[in-house]
Amino acid sequence: MKHTGNIGKPKRYGMVIDLDKCTGCGTCMVACMAENNVPFKKDESNKLDSITWLRVYRLTNGKPYPDNEVCYLPRPCQHCAGKHEGHSPCVSVCPATATDYDQETGIVSQIYTRCFGCRYCMAACPYHARYFNWWDPVWPKGMEKALNPNVSARMRGIVEKCSFCFHRYQKAMEKAHMEGRRELEEDEYQTACTQACPAGAITFGDLNNPEHKVHQIAQPDPAKGGRPRNPKVFRLLEELETNPKVYYLSSREWVQEACHKPHLLDQKTAHH
Amino acid sequence: MKIDRRSFLALSVGGTVGTALTPLPWKIQDDLAIWTQMWPWTPDPLDGENTFTHTVSTLCRGGCGVTVRKVGDRVVKIEGREDYPTNQGGVCNLCASGMQMLYGPTRIPHPIKRVGDRGAGQWARISWEEALSMVAEQLGEIRQAGQPETVACLSSRKYGSVAELLKRFLTAYGSPNFMVTPSMMDAYDMTLKRMHGVDGRMGFDLENADYVLSFGSGLIEGWGNTAYMIHTNSVWKERKATVKQIEPRLSNTAAKSDQWIPVTPGTEAILALGIAYVIIKESLYDYDFVNNFSTGFEEFRSAVLSGYSPGNVAKQTGVDQSTIVTLAREFARARRPMALCGRGQGTVPGGLGESVAVHALNALVGNINRPGGVWAMPRPAVDGWAAPALDASAQAGLAKPRLDGAGSAAFPFAEQLFNRVPEALATGSPYPLKALFVYEANPLFSTPGAAKVREAFDQIPFIVSFASHMDETAMAADLILPNHAHLERWEDVPDTSGFHQPMIGLVQPVVEPIRDTMHTGDALLRLAAALGGTMAASMPWENYKACLQEGLASRWSQLEADGFWIDNRYRPDTWSLAFPTPSGKFDFGVAGSDLKALFAPAQPEGDDGSYNLKLIPYDSVRIPNGPVGSPPFLVKIVSDTVLKGNDLFVEVNPETAKAAGFVEGDHAVLKTPLGSATVRVHLSDGLMPGLVAIPRGLGHTAFDGYLAEKGINANDLIGSVEDAASGLDAAWGILASLVKA
Amino acid sequence: MDSALIPKGVKRCPIWQFALGLGIAGAVLLWGVYAMFLCWFKGLNQTNMNDYYGFALWIWADLAVIALGGGAFFTGLLKYVFGKDELKNIINYAVLIGFICYSSALLILAIDVGQPLRSWFIFWHANVHSMLTEVAFCLSCYFCVLTIEYIPLILENRQLDKVPFVHNLSHSMHEYMAVFAATGAFLSFFHQGSLGGVAGVLFGRPFAYREHLFIWPWTFFLFTWSAAAYGPCFTLLVTRITEKIARKQLVKDATIQLLAKIAGWMMFTYIIAKIIDTIYWATTTAPSLGFSLKEFYSNNPVYGFSILFIEIVVCGVLPAVMLVIPKVRSNRLLLTLATVLAVIGVSLNRWVMVLQVMAVPVMSFDTWVMYYPSWQEVATTILPVAYGVILIMISYRYLPIFPQEAELNPLEPETPVAAEMDSQEATEADADPELTPAEA
Ligand SMILES: Nc1nc2c(c(=O)[nH]1)N[C@H]1C(S)=C(S)[C@@H](COP(=O)(O)OP(=O)(O)OC[C@H]3O[C@@H](n4cnc5c(=O)[nH]c(N)nc54)[C@H](O)[C@@H]3O)O[C@H]1N2
Ligand SMILES: Nc1nc2c(c(=O)[nH]1)N[C@H]1C(S)=C(S)[C@@H](COP(=O)(O)OP(=O)(O)OC[C@H]3O[C@@H](n4cnc5c(=O)[nH]c(N)nc54)[C@H](O)[C@@H]3O)O[C@H]1N2
Ligand code: SF4
Ligand code: SF4
Ligand code: SF4
Ligand code: SF4
Ligand code: SF4
Ligand SMILES: [Mo]
Repeated sequence: MKHTGNIGKPKRYGMVIDLDKCTGCGTCMVACMAENNVPFKKDESNKLDSITWLRVYRLTNGKPYPDNEVCYLPRPCQHCAGKHEGHSPCVSVCPATATDYDQETGIVSQIYTRCFGCRYCMAACPYHARYFNWWDPVWPKGMEKALNPNVSARMRGIVEKCSFCFHRYQKAMEKAHMEGRRELEEDEYQTACTQACPAGAITFGDLNNPEHKVHQIAQPDPAKGGRPRNPKVFRLLEELETNPKVYYLSSREWVQEACHKPHLLDQKTAHH
Repeated sequence: MKIDRRSFLALSVGGTVGTALTPLPWKIQDDLAIWTQMWPWTPDPLDGENTFTHTVSTLCRGGCGVTVRKVGDRVVKIEGREDYPTNQGGVCNLCASGMQMLYGPTRIPHPIKRVGDRGAGQWARISWEEALSMVAEQLGEIRQAGQPETVACLSSRKYGSVAELLKRFLTAYGSPNFMVTPSMMDAYDMTLKRMHGVDGRMGFDLENADYVLSFGSGLIEGWGNTAYMIHTNSVWKERKATVKQIEPRLSNTAAKSDQWIPVTPGTEAILALGIAYVIIKESLYDYDFVNNFSTGFEEFRSAVLSGYSPGNVAKQTGVDQSTIVTLAREFARARRPMALCGRGQGTVPGGLGESVAVHALNALVGNINRPGGVWAMPRPAVDGWAAPALDASAQAGLAKPRLDGAGSAAFPFAEQLFNRVPEALATGSPYPLKALFVYEANPLFSTPGAAKVREAFDQIPFIVSFASHMDETAMAADLILPNHAHLERWEDVPDTSGFHQPMIGLVQPVVEPIRDTMHTGDALLRLAAALGGTMAASMPWENYKACLQEGLASRWSQLEADGFWIDNRYRPDTWSLAFPTPSGKFDFGVAGSDLKALFAPAQPEGDDGSYNLKLIPYDSVRIPNGPVGSPPFLVKIVSDTVLKGNDLFVEVNPETAKAAGFVEGDHAVLKTPLGSATVRVHLSDGLMPGLVAIPRGLGHTAFDGYLAEKGINANDLIGSVEDAASGLDAAWGILASLVKA
Repeated sequence: MDSALIPKGVKRCPIWQFALGLGIAGAVLLWGVYAMFLCWFKGLNQTNMNDYYGFALWIWADLAVIALGGGAFFTGLLKYVFGKDELKNIINYAVLIGFICYSSALLILAIDVGQPLRSWFIFWHANVHSMLTEVAFCLSCYFCVLTIEYIPLILENRQLDKVPFVHNLSHSMHEYMAVFAATGAFLSFFHQGSLGGVAGVLFGRPFAYREHLFIWPWTFFLFTWSAAAYGPCFTLLVTRITEKIARKQLVKDATIQLLAKIAGWMMFTYIIAKIIDTIYWATTTAPSLGFSLKEFYSNNPVYGFSILFIEIVVCGVLPAVMLVIPKVRSNRLLLTLATVLAVIGVSLNRWVMVLQVMAVPVMSFDTWVMYYPSWQEVATTILPVAYGVILIMISYRYLPIFPQEAELNPLEPETPVAAEMDSQEATEADADPELTPAEA
């Protein structure tokens, strides 16, 4: 059996999304919605109130035809650690502790039954990773059959977001414990979007574990709040010191620049 | 007791304070909070035993292996099957939302017959016995009258036991009119037949190619097997293969490619010939292949050299001369170059000339039947069945010409030309149709020039649909015999997506049918039995599964054990054995065709000078445009620059928009010779000026409120253009105008 | 009809006029209440808020009324703690306005949250790191203080005051008022500050984020300071409006001038701090986060540099200077103009700190998001205004809000009103002839 290189130490689950590979197909979005019982309405064309824990943005280099270039950027919750572990933009502001930073996994949770819908966390999140249930979720008759029992359906009036499919972690840990193990293998806990992506663009694992692919690709520098040492890898809005655990990889310079700060791109980008 | 003001005051204050000190208000508050956490109208999914079942998807031609997660008897998730040869663990968005197809409200719950006007949506439930005897009676009468050829069938699938069974049913009945919805594979099949001399299908050893020249193929949008193509795209990235995308619009494929080369729509073949010109002129072609294993090269060479100089080609295609020369040199010098055609998802075949011109590039560099090249593949066949029995009536019917003219003197190499059916039905020539079966196809929505198809269908007195979902064509049927949904049935799915190894996937029921539906195979068997005679004798199986098992006899045990059968060791014939043409060689001359005529571009419809723009359809990886309607999750991921409310956006280059006075989001009337529609304008720097691009797959009138009435159907504005050489639909778009609404 | 309830020695409009006024304000109130119920029963989809605009009109109104209600705590502080006794002549009204503002703020919050029935989780599962937790605690406590401060005023109603228990209660409450005022000031300092902190701590939102000063962001102090500065202006403005409507002077000039002077200096110092904050933010904080000032004020149809100019110069520096100059503030018209500008200024500041924060894109591939409120939001935002008008009307009519009113507007001798009283009340009044209204 493979040895895991991070035994007993806290996990820092994270992702590297290869933007060179991502095709913008949107399967990750669908897989996430299916896995996490995300509701849907008859009209979802207003992207400002459409719940998609994972949203694939379409970035352009802003150049006119024929030099226009496009890059797709999937954006789950970045599971920010903040300036010091746990000081995520959203977690630090939630008055009711309805969103929490798990020191064990580095995952930012959302406790639906506790959230009372003040939306302060949404104001705090620069990535727009948080979604409010403006409506009661309604499944057309019969379709509620497809709901996943591991994730509770949310009620109107509360906030939800990507959980890194935390229930999968729970299931995997449960299984490991039953088998007398305390550690998970890399492939035992994978998120739904990672698994579904036909391009294999998403890599998920423990950033603290040198044997995990995410660690090897991102090469996070613990001394610098996890900044990637791989020059092709970067994080969204690194300057804000949100210290996200979602890393991106792109070989295109303009993409790297667009992700760092409001580079004076023109406004022709679109929400997907 | 008299309640005076003082005691009242004391009572109220005391009462308030007293109550506040009891647990009651806190308890009530707590209960209310808890109540909000379990509102009875928020569903509470039941847990149960978790099982994971392998099956194969029939939601698109891809036929990917999927693993279905069930909890109890509920399907809750569909994921890619890790060890499946094509998709290898990935799926695409459509399969990932497949649960919604199974459980969605657009399922047809039981057999129904039309009671109101056609298309009015008034139905009456009938029993399966009634429904089947209704069909049997009609078919019996038509056969009695000696017109079996007037019964036709349209299927979305060409291969596999259900398609074969439908075809067999018609054959035994006496009709030559088994038709398949058109696709680029028709053009490829014909190219294979005419250049290789092979009756087969094209296979592409994509992962091993190192230089891909795609003439508008939506490699990410659904060309071939979407999930596999997206996987392949990542393999290309890892292996540093080069992909050059030639098309007028910056599609997802173009965005992922190493270079996007915009080209004037409809001139892709010309560009291919321009590249051939450079390869020939600079003697960059594979001498061994061309000299020793091909014929007709001189004719091809002179056709190319006489009209396709880079200068000439640049003028017609809008691609610079230098780019043409560079592409040619890169292509010829690559180790494993591959040229591909079939626009977008390949739902429109394109003319034969285009396919031949592009394939000729593969031949010039000798990348035929070699690793990383284009391979001739055998056709999948259900080989375990005995030949059908034909009575005199069947023989007479089969001797009649096909309705669509395929195989006639005009189109000898065509197998089916559904695009010609509306014309045939409009003129009643060669004969009118009396009945039509529609199997998993939605021609009233997905055929270019859909209005004409609708008119044509009005001419057919009896339309039987086997749809599982209430799509546009089912809406227009007289009788619906609903098939099981994709997760409820047995079926074989031979790969028809261009995979380079012969493969069959086995669809296995994951859940018991949740509606009163019947497998179409079983329905056919019962119909044949009811018709009796040679019909019954030709289809003797007890049930569809028995018939499936017998048909795949030699491969069944592997199918049953693994869920798929693959011929891993398949290698195409070497050049010396590969070409069963009269000369035994690859034929650049396309069996003595007039190459000049063959390569002439298709002329768009209705050029009366009032159209200043060209409308091109585009395929989106997020919008299925075949027989399957988008489930809610898929509609949800459509961009707001494509759909806003029910408004559809067309893409226009900012320069073109500016000239016409449009700004982002403006409403406009889009007009073509086929009709007009109100759309909104989305400015895109990813589109050639002078064009309007419209997504295909929206504008449904059937299905439910999650899909119906959203946007407009591109096929209502864009028709088909018949390719003189092949009869195939060669349309790349249409002339159009866009004016302020 | 209701003259027995009207304070002694003052004149009030005829009951029909009063009823008509109440009716109009009541109709607006009902409209707001209807919208409020829509929001409660159908959910926040009744608003035009969205995932990018999670804080919108209401929260702005909330912050604005809390700032404007700051007159209560600051005037209280001045009177009870700093001994500015002159202010006793306006303190009642300041408290009433404060009470209205804070009860409105709480009501707005009850409509604003997605799960009002769970609002108490903020106390039960409190996250002490959240500014909003601090706001919730201090706001609720301070509302209690305001209620306590307001109660004696109610008890001073002519009829209630006749009840000996009530009379004594209100007397003793007055005695401890300094304690409550001090508590109120303390609580206000924190919740006003925390409200400022709400935006200031958003380190993911460079437009809002203000570097720390001690353990708090700058906005913490700016909000407290501005509430202390602009709250009294609002008290002055509402007093002025009340005087206009009542068509008589209610507070003597000396009181008004004193409050105006203090407010002026507060504003003057505040605006200097605000300018320093803005410069530091524009030149240091924002650039360190990768943003240039221009990005916050361009590429959108609404938020230009003019917003900054109006807030800081036109509605900040200008009214501050006006109030500081005795000659200007002693001119009634200019005084009113200054208070109007000040009220706009602080409201604009709150708007910017809430709504512009939401509008500014942070990721380069995001776009500016504009928002306009739905009618339900407008109605529920106007609801507190109607409620405030009603409460002021009733309080003014029946409670001795303005201690100087009688003196400033001596009544013409007129026929006794006893005839209009019903006999029982008359007897009761006769029963305790020695009781006189408590002194404010
Ligand atoms: N208020 C409240 N208390 C509860 C429950 C409840 O529903 N509400 N449920 C009870 C039940 S059934 C259980 S099993 C225990 C579990 O209680 P615990 O075992 O304490 O588990 P959690 O706190 O749910 O999750 C562990 C950690 O996972 C992290 N996490 C990551 N993602 C998520 C997520 O999406 N949701 C949640 N909740 N946490 C996440 C959190 O940071 C948290 O610290 O709690 C019980 N207590
Ligand atoms: N993202 C994320 N998802 C999680 C978790 C997580 O931490 N993060 N935690 C997981 C865990 S540990 C758990 S236990 C589950 C909890 O998930 P659920 O079991 O879905 O728990 P709740 O969401 O609390 O909903 C309980 C439901 O039970 C119903 N209910 C309550 N009382 C009764 C009753 O007396 N009778 C009946 N018939 N029904 C009743 C109500 O309809 C209510 O909606 O969620 C799992 N899902
Ligand atoms: S599934 Fe993969 S390729 Fe498709 S959009 Fe998501 S990350 Fe990109
Ligand atoms: S991305 Fe947003 S929601 Fe997720 S942890 Fe960071 S701040 Fe919180
Ligand atoms: S909306 Fe919910 S999770 Fe967000 S801050 Fe408020 S209570 Fe916390
Ligand atoms: S990790 Fe899970 S919850 Fe997050 S985006 Fe992916 S599928 Fe959704
Ligand atoms: S290509 Fe996509 S839709 Fe088609 S079968 Fe495969 S996963 Fe399903
Ligand atoms: Mo649990």
